[in-house]
Amino acid sequence: MTDSSPQHPDAEVRRTNSGAGRVLVAVYGIFALAATARASVQLLTKFDQAPFAYLLSALAGVIYIVATITLARGTRTSRRVALVAIIIELVGVISIGTLSIVDPEAFPRATVWSWYGIGYGFVPLVLPIFGLAWLWHTRPIAAPEPVEGP
Amino acid sequence: MIDALAYAVVALAGAAVIWGLVSAIANKPPGKTQLLYAAGLELITVVQSIIAAAKMIGGFRPAELATTIGYLIGIVILIPIAWLWANVERTRFSGIVLAVAAFAVLAMTLRLLVLWTPTG
Repeated sequence: MTDSSPQHPDAEVRRTNSGAGRVLVAVYGIFALAATARASVQLLTKFDQAPFAYLLSALAGVIYIVATITLARGTRTSRRVALVAIIIELVGVISIGTLSIVDPEAFPRATVWSWYGIGYGFVPLVLPIFGLAWLWHTRPIAAPEPVEGP
Repeated sequence: MIDALAYAVVALAGAAVIWGLVSAIANKPPGKTQLLYAAGLELITVVQSIIAAAKMIGGFRPAELATTIGYLIGIVILIPIAWLWANVERTRFSGIVLAVAAFAVLAMTLRLLVLWTPTG
């Protein structure tokens, strides 16, 4: 009863874009939009003020776009790409977050990942953790029993 | 931006967030009324963006012009996309998807209110 997709009992179809995965994709999509739009504005209007920070914003945007699309597709190949993208995202938010605190001079202008994403309610920090957890949860080799909560 | 309208959007979006979460807790996909409500929220958000655009065409210049324009455009595409995404696979998670989008509308409207200050 707790399985939201009883017509797909097969482990093969535990897709990343189903069930709670749809929420994850929605959140990733919003961050893809936010980070890309923010980076575009920054790069187009004030690139010379903080080129490094703004290029990082753009990189973050691209990573969010890749993660959104690959999680939304939910195929075997897209899972692998999603895994790589989300690992880069996690490394990015932790390293940029730390760097922005230790060496604020390097980031005169904020990026999505500054201070571990404080400007976005720290969602940028927890999002990759949820992403990795979801990829693990939907891994193809796992037993096919429903694991969702009631 | 009209402050009263913006706060109305914030309140309506807040209600949409709660509604989405409640339907998820009840383990139901969003019902017809809930979807219509989301459409209504979208309509008011569009009206808000149009009014803001008209004011900018009329000469108002917010300090962060490009960012403001980005927000005014971005805010109107969230709910339609979430609506479609939520309806492809209708589960309780559809309600959370709508709640996430409504929360983004809420947060962006609050940000727009801050951005809506003239060039200083």
